[in-house]
Amino acid sequence: MRFSVLLFFLYRILQWAAKHNAAYQNYVGSIHDVKIMIKTADGKRGRLFIFDRGAVRSRSGGKHSYNTAIIWSDAKTGFRVMSSQSDEEQFKAAAAGEMKLDGMAFFAQWFNDGVKLVM
Amino acid sequence: MALINGGHLVGKYLKEIENVDVVFGISGGHLESLLDGFTEYKIRTIDVRHEQAAAMMAHAWSVYTGRPGVCFLTAGPGFTNGLTGIANAYLDNAPLVVLCGRAPLRDDLKGALQEMNQIEVVRPITKWAATCYDIKRIPEYLSIAFRNALLGRPGPVMLELPPDILNIQIEESLVPMPARPNPKYTVHPDEADLKAAAEIINNAKKPLFLGGSGIGFSGCSGPLGKLVEKTGVPFMLLNYGRGELPDNHPLSVMDIGNLGLFFSIARFDVIIAAGLRFNWLLQFGQIIPKTTKIVRIDIDPLEINRNVEATVGLVGDAGSVLGQLVPFVNENDHGEWIQTLKGAGRSVLDNEHRIRETATDPIHPVRLVAQIQKFVGDDAIYIADGGDTQYFGLGFTTRQKAGVVASAAGLLGCLGTGLPFGMAAKLARPDKKVVVLNGDGSFGFNAMEFDTMVRHNIPVVCVINNDCAWGMIKHSQEVSIGKDRLQCSELGVRRYEKMVEGLGGHSEFVTKDEEIIPALERAFASGKPACINVMTDPTVTSPATHLFYQSLKI
Ligand SMILES: Cc1ncc(C[n+]2csc(CCOP(=O)(O)OP(=O)(O)O)c2C)c(N)n1
Repeated sequence: MRFSVLLFFLYRILQWAAKHNAAYQNYVGSIHDVKIMIKTADGKRGRLFIFDRGAVRSRSGGKHSYNTAIIWSDAKTGFRVMSSQSDEEQFKAAAAGEMKLDGMAFFAQWFNDGVKLVM
Repeated sequence: MALINGGHLVGKYLKEIENVDVVFGISGGHLESLLDGFTEYKIRTIDVRHEQAAAMMAHAWSVYTGRPGVCFLTAGPGFTNGLTGIANAYLDNAPLVVLCGRAPLRDDLKGALQEMNQIEVVRPITKWAATCYDIKRIPEYLSIAFRNALLGRPGPVMLELPPDILNIQIEESLVPMPARPNPKYTVHPDEADLKAAAEIINNAKKPLFLGGSGIGFSGCSGPLGKLVEKTGVPFMLLNYGRGELPDNHPLSVMDIGNLGLFFSIARFDVIIAAGLRFNWLLQFGQIIPKTTKIVRIDIDPLEINRNVEATVGLVGDAGSVLGQLVPFVNENDHGEWIQTLKGAGRSVLDNEHRIRETATDPIHPVRLVAQIQKFVGDDAIYIADGGDTQYFGLGFTTRQKAGVVASAAGLLGCLGTGLPFGMAAKLARPDKKVVVLNGDGSFGFNAMEFDTMVRHNIPVVCVINNDCAWGMIKHSQEVSIGKDRLQCSELGVRRYEKMVEGLGGHSEFVTKDEEIIPALERAFASGKPACINVMTDPTVTSPATHLFYQSLKI
């Protein structure tokens, strides 16, 4: 639950930043139709973030098609690591196999770097 | 009394002093005496179909042999065609010696055939460029040329040889040869700096050794092995340094790939960077936190603080500096850290690992690489040339020195280098299998070199990752300007292998996963230069494309 709420708030923050935060607007640029999924490994929880020509849209659920996915072993781990906003924690989660990337891994880093700009 | 002409003098110097046994180029009237000099002194010539390939082959020869590569270009268009290869060698710091024809001095300013100011054109992309005006000074000029190519940070040089000196004769005893080739002088760091570096390494908890082309040109597997084995520091070797120690060495973390490196780079407390520039490929080092301690080893003192300030800088040839460092470092074990790194790498590359194991229709380029690797093994030389293709090709593993080279990933980002590099690799190490993984776009630049391979019996196997597009450009346009406005980025289904067959090579056309290995078997068994045209999934994009696209965003 907390994981899903966190993802929803993240969407709202990014959506706002894409409209009002100049640094984030410049960062996202005119990127066309890039879909980034954050979800649990079982696909039961998740949210899709769609970046398209400067706008950020989102759909809840972990079953949509995507370009890149950040996949957490479970919602609790996802919430713990994401809410810590710590690269070190994320690295440790990856090292422990609790976070995996699927699809175009580059965009995961791009997404995270963008989040750092607005947090 | 024995007379010798200028062209023969060049041949004599190359053979007797520098021990050059192969040169690359295309003939031309201005070079006739020089060509005859090659015959006289039994220097093998590989005559290609475009001069850029000659310069690229000579450059690659230096990579695969550790000795300078020599190419010859005729005046005017031969010279201008060679420029791309020279610029590439310049940006890659490769010791390339260019011997270039010239319109006769006698006819300067009169509108002679192919008269142009070549020296001024080439100067910004060479370490040294000069014209020899006196037949007596040919050995001296050649000696200066080789010295400039090799000593300090290596790089390309060009010696212009006009017919006025190539085609005249002189009494041979009047032109003595130097007693020996230029010795390789090196500089060494102070002991205080070595100790400071050792202290940083000894106290490191999460270190990484990152080696670049300087490791390869230094040929320093011995001291490098000693340093990493004593300190237990994990290593990654990039560019021409790849394979200096085998990818499967217990301390190698090559398997985390470029993505794993980028993902982990802020986690290292110490980075030992040797013979490696922090250029755009490493995002100018901006991704390294200020708190990370950097030990920087480079032959060029100007490189030590470039883009990233080093905590300690050690100037000198990589091998010699590493050898000097070994006595000062402590024995250590970073096994746990290596496992953590590898674990993170596995998670980041999870997707790619799965693709390697899975047959798909259409063929995924990552799977293509895995199947080639399965058949060819790691005691082979791989070259990847293309946009996305070269990212995929970096997934090969090797235990050959410079065994995986993404030839178009140098600073010039020069497509078309793959086949010339493959040919040079096969000539330098004829007993090894050589595979060029080519993008279909890149293949076009030097595809006629299959004729050279057939004439000179250079059995390279070229596998085309055919996505019917200039993939990297197409995929970045899709993201930046949209799928509906693609411009100059699409090619078509082309039977490139048939062209190779027409030139006398072996050909294969592959559309299905299960056809890959049998096609490789037949290609290698043919003993001929071979082209395997593999149709792959045109929708697949590599992470390199997005890195490239982001790097151009202003
Ligand atoms: C000589 C040269 N011309 C143009 C470019 C610009 N360029 C960079 S990547 C690329 C596309 C490469 O296509 P291909 O060789 O088919 O490889 P793919 O990206 O499809 O794997 C182009 C045109 C270049 N780097 N070098």
